[in-house]
Amino acid sequence: MADTVGEVSDADPGWLTSAHVMVVAGKGGVGSSTVAAAAALAAAREGADVLFISVDGRPGMGPLLGGREISDREQTLQRVNGGGRVRARTIPADQAFGDYLELKGVGGLLRRAASAASLPMIAAATPGLEHLLVLGKIKELEKDRNADLIVVDAPPAGHAAPFLRSASGLSDVVKSGPVLDQASEVSEMLADPARCKALLVALPEETPITEVIELADDLGDDLGINLLPLIVNACWPDRAGLEKTPAMAARSHKLKLSDSAKSALESAAAFGRSRLAQQREQIGRLGEARDGPIITLPRLATPRLGSDDLATLADALVRADQGVDDES
Amino acid sequence: MSRDQRSDVEKSVASLDEVIRSSELILTCGPGGVGKTTTAAALGVAAARAGRKTVVVTVDPARRLADALGLDDGAASDEPHRVKGVTKRTTDGELWALMLDAEQTFDRLVREQSGSRKQADAVLNNPVYQAISGSLSGAQEYMAVERLHQLHVSGDWDLVIVDTPPSRHAIDLLEAPDRLVGFLSHPVYRTLTVGQRTFAKITDAASSMFLWAVKRLAGPQIVEDTVEFFRSLANIEGGLRQRAKQVSELLRGDDTAFVVVSSPRAEAVGEAEHLLDAIADKKFPLGGLVVNLIHPMPEPLTDDDEDLLAGIDDGPLGDQLDWHRELTSLAIAERQELVELERLAGDAPVIELPLLDVDIHDVPGLVGLAARLV
Repeated sequence: MADTVGEVSDADPGWLTSAHVMVVAGKGGVGSSTVAAAAALAAAREGADVLFISVDGRPGMGPLLGGREISDREQTLQRVNGGGRVRARTIPADQAFGDYLELKGVGGLLRRAASAASLPMIAAATPGLEHLLVLGKIKELEKDRNADLIVVDAPPAGHAAPFLRSASGLSDVVKSGPVLDQASEVSEMLADPARCKALLVALPEETPITEVIELADDLGDDLGINLLPLIVNACWPDRAGLEKTPAMAARSHKLKLSDSAKSALESAAAFGRSRLAQQREQIGRLGEARDGPIITLPRLATPRLGSDDLATLADALVRADQGVDDES
Repeated sequence: MSRDQRSDVEKSVASLDEVIRSSELILTCGPGGVGKTTTAAALGVAAARAGRKTVVVTVDPARRLADALGLDDGAASDEPHRVKGVTKRTTDGELWALMLDAEQTFDRLVREQSGSRKQADAVLNNPVYQAISGSLSGAQEYMAVERLHQLHVSGDWDLVIVDTPPSRHAIDLLEAPDRLVGFLSHPVYRTLTVGQRTFAKITDAASSMFLWAVKRLAGPQIVEDTVEFFRSLANIEGGLRQRAKQVSELLRGDDTAFVVVSSPRAEAVGEAEHLLDAIADKKFPLGGLVVNLIHPMPEPLTDDDEDLLAGIDDGPLGDQLDWHRELTSLAIAERQELVELERLAGDAPVIELPLLDVDIHDVPGLVGLAARLV
């Protein structure tokens, strides 16, 4: 298994655009929105026309991708050399509902009245309907081939699985009508590897790795969604020199350190060693639990990611995409 | 430059001791992935060891933590379980834990608020109710505060601690009771439930549109069930409104404390700031701020040492130097992220906790964390 940052094992080249829709999901706090943005940028750099969909309109993602905040009106955030670009929008449930009614031939005035007055009530009566409407809209965009790749930043925390499960869940309550049709069309898209795949994100720590294994079982094995390589985000780069004590490290440079320097360097090295050991152990555990390829992305030494940092992550994904890692 | 910043973690003498000794209700809230559940459990350990009979209500705990709290996957997890290995001395209280089951809590609420068993069954057996009780938008948030209320009024507990559902919009929780009232006041809901009107007589535009849309979208059967559900809910509506009001008051009471948990990452800090603003704005009592997962600040290199090491940029020592610089700059940047967050906490105690080598998932780990919190 890959244990070197920014590399991939066993992945086919071109995995980024191997399906039309990439749903990016992970528990809260693992950086799945950032990874989604990096994947969109990486695919654009490979020349793709990418549509980035932020399901819950998380603030900050538009500026990170080089544009304004993402809204329900589509905008182009960034063009890259080689013809690729990143467009972005959110899909509010009431707008998706309006679009859906329009598609079903319901006139303008009625449509506005229906979506404004009734959606909260209809949604309350039909659980999962809001999620389904959003997925239904994504399905329409996919069908129209609106973009070479649609990257979906799925809701975080405990909500990614219910979001994707809305289609199969609804068919338990709703026995007939267009909602059922919509649900089966969405389920069909989710299960078709040429049309949709999921990119699952974890951190190299015990609980996030356990949770991504559960999520992979849940979405992959249970819901039949095809998985892209698993992403382990925020991995510290391996630094072999940390394995030595500062004094030993200095000796190989024929230097003698002061006691204060030894103590200062060791105060950082001790922490680094334990993080790297934990990281190796957890990535190894993920490799044993899941058969597919694993991509590790570097931990960037900042609490606030900027556009340069995003480019670094996109580079790591592109490198993985090109399958430069021949060692594994 | 880093001397002032580096002493922050060490010099912190703030404590949640007062909060766990004097509150009757504590709610931990904050963005996902920052250790909220673990913090709630550790506060429970601290309170039990301070002599209080404490129950911790968790939402979706990581599996190993759930195991440590004696909460397996069984349905009985919704009732309090005694947590073993926490309390030893005779002066100690007790620690109990349960896992929130939104559906069971909703069922209990319906039964309590119904005038008769028949009324309750009419709601509980309705297919629409069964489908929405777990998934109604915001239901989990509302049921977390409802469960808190149930436990609080039972009189069985000195302290009830509720770990709130993970949410990017943690603010949902604070507004949950108001949202239920809003739902009950929705014009469509009112038209459907007021009086004894039949379908044929429902003529107002929004309601007929609603019924039409449900029918068109989801088939005729669900329309019957929906209207029937709203009708049966009308019997207990007064009770639901009353309860929402009580819960809302309870959350603002003198014996309640909100503990906001965050990490120093920019996204988490942004959400936590938003939450602190809302808590202040809506006049909820803030008990404290816990900032978790802070990277340690390495000891600084002296100027002489920097001079000696200036030319080294590769090999084992290069690795050591790179890492020292990287960790130092990250630790400084994290502390800068926290300045505004900690200002927003005002007079409330702020506890900073380091990123640990291992996740906490057993009772000894919780005991260790409890000691850092109080």
